[in-house]
Amino acid sequence: MTDAAADPVVPAPGGAPGPTTPSGAPALQITGLRKAFGQKLAVDDLHLTVPTGSFYGLVGPNGAGKTTTLSMATGLLRPDAGTITVLGTDVWRDTVRAKSLVGVLSDGVALFDRLTGEQLVTYHGLLNGIDRETVAQRTGDLLDLLDLRGAAGTLVVDYSAGMTKKIALACALVHAPRLLVLDEPFESVDPISAANIRDILAGYVSGGGTVIVSSHSMDLVQRMCDHVAVVAAGRVLAAGTTDEVRRGSTLEDRFVELVGGRQHNEGPSWLRTS
Amino acid sequence: MVAHLLSLRFRLLVNGFKRSTWQLVGAIIGLVYGLGLLAAIFAGMVGLSFAEPIWGRTVAVLAGALAVLGWLVVPLLLRGFDQSVSVAKLRSFPLPPQKLLVALLVVGLLGVPGLVTLLAALSTTLSWIGEPVAFLTAPFAAVLGALTCVTAARALESVGASLASGRRYREVMGVVVFVPVLLLGPLVAVVGSSVASIGDDLPSIAAVVSWTPLGAAWSIPGDLALGLGLEALAKTGIALATLGVLLLLWRRALAVSLVAAPTSSGGSSASKGLGPFARFPGTPTGAVAARTAVYWLRDPRYGGSLVALPVLVVVGAFLAATGSDWFLVTLGPLFGAVLGITLCAEISYDGTAFAAHLSTGVSGVADRAGRVVTLALFAVPVVVLATVVPLVLLDRAGDVPALLGVALGLLLTGFGVSSIASTRFLMPVPAAGESPFKTPAGSTFKSQLGMYVAWAIVFALSVPEIALGVAGVVTGQLWLGLASLVVGIALGSVLLVVGVRRGGASLDRRGPELLAALRNAQGS
Repeated sequence: MTDAAADPVVPAPGGAPGPTTPSGAPALQITGLRKAFGQKLAVDDLHLTVPTGSFYGLVGPNGAGKTTTLSMATGLLRPDAGTITVLGTDVWRDTVRAKSLVGVLSDGVALFDRLTGEQLVTYHGLLNGIDRETVAQRTGDLLDLLDLRGAAGTLVVDYSAGMTKKIALACALVHAPRLLVLDEPFESVDPISAANIRDILAGYVSGGGTVIVSSHSMDLVQRMCDHVAVVAAGRVLAAGTTDEVRRGSTLEDRFVELVGGRQHNEGPSWLRTS
Repeated sequence: MVAHLLSLRFRLLVNGFKRSTWQLVGAIIGLVYGLGLLAAIFAGMVGLSFAEPIWGRTVAVLAGALAVLGWLVVPLLLRGFDQSVSVAKLRSFPLPPQKLLVALLVVGLLGVPGLVTLLAALSTTLSWIGEPVAFLTAPFAAVLGALTCVTAARALESVGASLASGRRYREVMGVVVFVPVLLLGPLVAVVGSSVASIGDDLPSIAAVVSWTPLGAAWSIPGDLALGLGLEALAKTGIALATLGVLLLLWRRALAVSLVAAPTSSGGSSASKGLGPFARFPGTPTGAVAARTAVYWLRDPRYGGSLVALPVLVVVGAFLAATGSDWFLVTLGPLFGAVLGITLCAEISYDGTAFAAHLSTGVSGVADRAGRVVTLALFAVPVVVLATVVPLVLLDRAGDVPALLGVALGLLLTGFGVSSIASTRFLMPVPAAGESPFKTPAGSTFKSQLGMYVAWAIVFALSVPEIALGVAGVVTGQLWLGLASLVVGIALGSVLLVVGVRRGGASLDRRGPELLAALRNAQGS
């Protein structure tokens, strides 16, 4: 851990600008973020800068604080300390404005799944205060884009896992956010749907948007994201462009190197059948 | 394995106490209540041993039949029913259904309600002190009866649960719950005419009931005491057959639920268009109202929360038939009080889907107002009907303004109070997609208490219209009744607006904390 803290690609406390900062405020800037659940410190003085227009990957072992951090960054969980700004707007001071800039796909959160897909996207659009005509048009576009037109009238509870992720993505996109925060968007999604989602996200980034995804899949992050941050035990161990962080090796090897904890044993003898 | 499951059950109970002292307080109150009930029953049984044997049989059969009915119905009505060792949680272990059935039966019998039933059943032995044959058979009949109670409850629950995993069944359930409300009028008339003199007929009613599966087991010692050996034998047969059929039903449902996926989809009907979303205004408030409207129609938990209403109607009709019509007269205000407080559970019903409201930044007032609008569209007509129809049937149309004032006052005040209350505490409710009658995880005495406090506040705030209404009914002065109507609607509306505003502000402030609590509730 102390090795990692000395790593040159870790942004200095106080939030030094990211390597490829364009003009204007970064899409997401987190400084000194802290959150404890009872005795357990889930996020411990976390600093992170996500440049506008980047496709940012957030990787880390289970319980590293990824979901907790993203929840706090999207106004769903109140931090104990630290500031979070989205495109210059303080998330916890000017909550409503910050929320209008961000689209969220949360992991481990239910949807209003007794609505049909079309109703659910419409609901999210109307909750954002968009007028009915615009919502109807965007809902149609998103259903076409995500290939859900045929399932528009089916209740979301009857969707497959991949379709559910896609409709949740549509809900996150309906108010045309500038920043998209996606927690585990590829979990339990089949490869074809995942590839489609990836294309849509790449298109969104090339159109000037910023995407943050958390994922367990190192391969996916390495191929898809131009920036990456490795998080463990509530801290950022390394952050920067993907090439900077992986330093010539694969992201997975670099991740294991940074996080540690890899074990080399074959398990108890009674588990072996031959 | 039986011992293992039993120790698991008590371990869960003890750990529950460790987690919350309120649960311990609830358990102690329950224990004291149960012990008091048992003491009264024991005393009654000793007293009964001095009466004619026919009365011993009558009491045993009727009380026993009621106990079986209670075991069948109470789990459907009450959500606090003990279900810590449920089949769903045991599904992943390699347990043969046969063994599991025995284990669950013992666990059910040794819970607090099971023990009270068993001890009460055994106490009937005391009433046969003077009759040696009956005295010796009574304990066996008692165990048979208590087993029937537990098995019946578990069988119904298992069958219901395995049916409920199909979504269509759940949607149908939502409608079925409303049927008794629609039958309100005819029911009042029928019950009113048929039940005239019930007191002297008890022994003959018991005689009939003793031939049904509900009463057969309880009647065996009484029949022996009366010298009806053949009847006793026949009823033993009926009782054993009942238990056998129930066990068979339970075993089959258990086998199904051990392998079935928790939620089987399919049979879903695709619907076209936006439904209520096209009809409500295209604003955040309208969207929340439309979404709640869809949920009232599709989510059985919402309809299930109204199950108290038909029960109130039946009780009112029954009391009216036996001569006292005060309950039926106050039906409207009772409906108002029940419906007004329903909103307390709404955020809990949302579960973590509430995150959608939080991440879109919709204002708390829009959230509160939308939910009130949908419930009001349904509740106001129902309360008006529940007030006017009984009064007209009882030929007391003059009391309509007074009681309507109280009913609407309670309803509107209830909306206001529960708009605030539901942002302050969460109700333990079944998770989305579960049976509406499934026991929620971690139901605590504290949240029940919260609801009663909310109710007390509603009544306290409605004192003006209640006072005017009561005065109007007692004196028969029309102007007092009209004053109650005006005050009820005006004061209720003001409190509704205040409640929505303050509830909305509280929601804006406490939104993240509520979501955290909802996540915890989902996790437990």
